[in-house]
Amino acid sequence: MRKIIIAVLLLLLPSPALAVDGNSLLLQVDRNLNPDSYESYKKLINIEPNGKKKEFILFTVKKGKDKVAAMFLSPASEKGRSTLRLGENMWLYIPNVGKPIRITSLQSVVGGVFNNSDILRLDYTSEYNVEKVEDIGGEYILHLKAKTKTVAYDRLKMWANKEKLVPVRIECLTETSMLVKTIYFKNVKDFGGGIVRPAVIETDSPLYKGYKSVMIFAKMKERKLDDEVFTMTFMPNLDSLR
Amino acid sequence: MPFLAFAQDEYSFDISEIEKGIEKKPYSLGGYLEFTPEIFRLDHDAAFYKLNFYNRPEKDYLDEYNFKLSMNGGYKQGISEVYIRSNINITESDIKSRTTVTIDEGYMSVKPSSIFNISIGKKALKWGKGYAWNPVAFVARPKNPDDPDLALEGYIMASADYIKSLAGPLQTISVTPVVIPVYEHVNSEFGERDNTNYACKLYLLLYDTDIDFMFLKGNSKSDRFGTDFSRNMTSNFEIHGEFAYIDDITKKTIDSVGNKTQTIYDAKSYLLGIRYLTESDTTFICEYYRNGTGFTGEEMEGFFGLVDNGYNSYVSSSDETLLNTANTMTEGNYGRPNPMRDYMYLRISQKEPFDILYLTPSITGIYNINDKSYSFSPEILYTGITNLELRLKAGFLAGPDNSEFGEKQNDYRIELRARYYFDAANLLD
Repeated sequence: MRKIIIAVLLLLLPSPALAVDGNSLLLQVDRNLNPDSYESYKKLINIEPNGKKKEFILFTVKKGKDKVAAMFLSPASEKGRSTLRLGENMWLYIPNVGKPIRITSLQSVVGGVFNNSDILRLDYTSEYNVEKVEDIGGEYILHLKAKTKTVAYDRLKMWANKEKLVPVRIECLTETSMLVKTIYFKNVKDFGGGIVRPAVIETDSPLYKGYKSVMIFAKMKERKLDDEVFTMTFMPNLDSLR
Repeated sequence: MPFLAFAQDEYSFDISEIEKGIEKKPYSLGGYLEFTPEIFRLDHDAAFYKLNFYNRPEKDYLDEYNFKLSMNGGYKQGISEVYIRSNINITESDIKSRTTVTIDEGYMSVKPSSIFNISIGKKALKWGKGYAWNPVAFVARPKNPDDPDLALEGYIMASADYIKSLAGPLQTISVTPVVIPVYEHVNSEFGERDNTNYACKLYLLLYDTDIDFMFLKGNSKSDRFGTDFSRNMTSNFEIHGEFAYIDDITKKTIDSVGNKTQTIYDAKSYLLGIRYLTESDTTFICEYYRNGTGFTGEEMEGFFGLVDNGYNSYVSSSDETLLNTANTMTEGNYGRPNPMRDYMYLRISQKEPFDILYLTPSITGIYNINDKSYSFSPEILYTGITNLELRLKAGFLAGPDNSEFGEKQNDYRIELRARYYFDAANLLD
């Protein structure tokens, strides 16, 4: 009888292994989305309800969990603009203005549904803890909670493909669980060098009814980068990395 | 693999078009073409109207048409790069017809690594964290608070950047030394000639806060030291500030009968500002600026009194002496932007109101705390057409007699700026 009671009590206890699994699962998702240090090109398309599009091409570099920088290659009106993110610190450099200025993660340098933190995305593990993992057959649902108040979205609900361990869909929520936007991950492609990940990220938002933004990844490859690349002083020189 | 191709779902991309977009070329050539028609409502009672129009037929309105071609180009070879940015400005109005060509920047830089680079030539270096004013911008030309994002002309200098990233609370340290020579045909507007000036900026990213320390030393200008900071308090709230100490600055004043005075003193200028973004995408930028080199109300009244007296002399006896004297005290002195001591700046911009993408209406106000005059500028910016930027802007100036904005040449002005950006590098293929 005592053994049965102990067994029942053990079953009722919250499993510490689950939380550990959730965070290591998220870490695997991060590594499947991109190598620890890499360069990539992104095409960003803002689509209006009438079908009108505005397109941007960016060159992006990222190192570690919390260092990412991007520079606009087109259109001509944005060319040379660069953005830098170090954790929750973000800067924007506009060649005409001539000096980097601090920006906030909730702003958008390109307009449309993507904001700065979507474009300069860090590893999920650097910003979120996994609170709960649900197993719904072919997919996991990861419930993520922001580590600090400075993170753009307080909560994320991530559907991840169980076999490939890459996100399929993410709902971005406020502290009061209001849906801010939904991000869809599509077109899993082999980029070479062992990088197999969704090449298209699409997002819509109840705050921008009918509008859609799409991000297409290209030429993603692992690359060793100096820490100094991710500094405010280096921002005007990002093009020298290409 | 040449490039990823997508031709499914609703996305279809032309591979060659994208490849062209990311192709790395050794050269670059681009810029913008700008057309800005403006209309000014002139204020006949204002001091600056009298000073600028005393010998012209009286006018209520002034139309002005500005054309600008701004071009930049560069060429890279290995670790070396040359870069040039130049402007052609054409202004046509009832009172002036002028064409100017300026080379704003033109320098050669060598970038052997991401840690170190060095540049020689004409370069615009902008220091400071303030949006409307930068009291610590020791090696830059003053910017116009009415349009602070405008590109500025640089100075001929040698400068370098040394950058070091570290682990721990001090994440970045960088040093930017600058040498600025001033001779008859080199940087003659910077200050006294036949001198070599030295400046340096030390940048730290410490505890997620940008901190700079800088100085300028040399005989062209009085020595100055400064510091600034900027920090994101939350994901939507930033604070910044600047402080500058200027040793033995010379202030030149004039009274209402034309007596000139020079005062030498140590000036302290500072600025404190915030940038706040609301949930509804409204951005507030608010700054307080203390201009330690600025004029007092009494000193401004002396200048305005001189203009009044000069104008009366001209009307009664065609004597231009006092007005000519006033003119010599205008450039870079009484006529500079915001020449007095204490100012407040507020800019409120709303991103994409009513779900209209790429539309940003803004209002900007500058309030002169000392004389209670102000400028108020509503504007609408539309960037929905690729490479075309349309801005409709008005500027209203008001204030009591003998106040900064009350004595400006115009009561208000309206301008439409159409700017088209182009990238001509592909045409060179």
